[in-house]
Amino acid sequence: MNSLVSYFETDWQAMTLNDWVGTILTVVIFLLMLVAYFQVFRPKNRERLESKKHILFDEDRENNGDNDGGP
Amino acid sequence: MQASLEQKYNFEIVRWFTVMAVVYLVVGAAVGVYIASELAWPFLNFDSPYISFGRLRPVHTNAVIFAFGGCTLMATAFYTVQRTCGVRLWSDKWARFTFWGWNAVIVLAVLTLPFGLTQSKEYAELEWPIDILIAVVWLSFTINFIMTIAIRKTSHIYVSNWFFLGMMVMIVYLHVVNSLAIPVGLFKSYSIFSGVQDAMIQWWWGHNAVGFYLTAGFLGIMYYFVPKQAGRPIYSYRLSVIHFWALMFGYVWLGAHHLQYTALPDWTGSLGAAVSIAMIIPSWGGAVNGMMTLSGAWDRLRTDYVLRFLIIALAFYAMSTFEGPVMALKTVNALSHYTDWTIGHVHSGALGWVAGISIGAIYHLMTRLYHTEMFSVRLINFHFWTATIGTVIYIVAMWVSGIMQGLMWRAYDEYGTLAYTFVESVDAMHPYYAMRAIGGMIFLLGAVVMLFNVLMTIRKSVVSGSLDKARAVPVAA
Repeated sequence: MNSLVSYFETDWQAMTLNDWVGTILTVVIFLLMLVAYFQVFRPKNRERLESKKHILFDEDRENNGDNDGGP
Repeated sequence: MQASLEQKYNFEIVRWFTVMAVVYLVVGAAVGVYIASELAWPFLNFDSPYISFGRLRPVHTNAVIFAFGGCTLMATAFYTVQRTCGVRLWSDKWARFTFWGWNAVIVLAVLTLPFGLTQSKEYAELEWPIDILIAVVWLSFTINFIMTIAIRKTSHIYVSNWFFLGMMVMIVYLHVVNSLAIPVGLFKSYSIFSGVQDAMIQWWWGHNAVGFYLTAGFLGIMYYFVPKQAGRPIYSYRLSVIHFWALMFGYVWLGAHHLQYTALPDWTGSLGAAVSIAMIIPSWGGAVNGMMTLSGAWDRLRTDYVLRFLIIALAFYAMSTFEGPVMALKTVNALSHYTDWTIGHVHSGALGWVAGISIGAIYHLMTRLYHTEMFSVRLINFHFWTATIGTVIYIVAMWVSGIMQGLMWRAYDEYGTLAYTFVESVDAMHPYYAMRAIGGMIFLLGAVVMLFNVLMTIRKSVVSGSLDKARAVPVAA
């Protein structure tokens, strides 16, 4: 057994319920992150997502250039 | 038009939290300076247990993290959720309960910690009855925030609200689990965890308090106040979405890096270190996103002192989120652990990032909440330089002190025995402890000036009647 294989060797018989829950959650979260990256950086979604950044200034525009309720 | 905002939204609760945040900044920093001075000049203990370092240190951390930080988060969360959702807070009564409840927690902390009433869990020292009160008050804050989002008039939930919400949900979970204890009296309880599990739970809480409370919450502040103060939308909304999810998914794994070279399984520390390194990517993504918001308008930094606070805070955020993962690595940790380097790292985040972004947001809020300009812009400028110089002096002192400590502790002579006694390393620290106290004093001076400026601005508003005028204008349809 080379060193790389031994590094990743796992005693599957010794895995407890906690170990399995943790392992499955880790993999699921990793996959969800991949989905998030894909969705966010998909060119098709660019305009839709970037348009949201103007929400902050919507109220100011409605108030005719009011300085955010400031002086 | 200002008045319609004043009547449409509940700014009263935001004003209360904002003013108390500044008061607690002064109190927390003052206690910090005092205990830093005790380390440099131990006679300041005056042989009284009530003001010894061990008793006052949790008073300092609770005052700055939960009193100053908490009031800032509650002020900004209640302000931004209303402004970005276009509706008044779901419940004014619940908001008032949150305010008085949170301040009651702070008062109880001051009344118990100097008397040694503590669970001895770092950043979670308060005894079980106060822990229950914290949970109830925090839930009232969270439910009010969630319900305000639920009744919003906008279709999209702006990203700052995501960060605030992530913080709220995770802090409920972290606080409840970490505080599980068996009471044996009104002021004494024992954690249900023991041994290495207790240590792991402690640092699962400890680092996630940093990650979700001191980072996610204050990033919520950043994503609202940097664009608003700059008058430009955030550089990349897509990057902010990735920043949010990567932070939420990644941060919970980091706690184990506080327990390198302990009874914790070796792989757990390695996992903590590996994910810590991975977290540089979203952290720097967020910092760059905030800074690049100024792209094409960097000249604003010459004249806008509030924006300076916000941007320098992001620089400290980038710096400390690089330094932290490096310190998590086992080889670096072997030198840095248990030394003052950790204290320097924490304060580059706490003073540079958390206080910096909070102070910028509070100055921004003051003009909006009192409908007048700040009493003195020159004093804001003075505050900016005292805060920055004080922070730099503090962290440089701790870096030098910490690295020197680590090197002295592990130096061996040719016979394999330790080259220095522990007390020799303590003696070597003295100049740096004095330097740290001076840095803290400079930072405190800025905080006192801020409190003065804030109070004078309120007085100016009262004298000019700007707030009353704003309240009196009829509501726009």
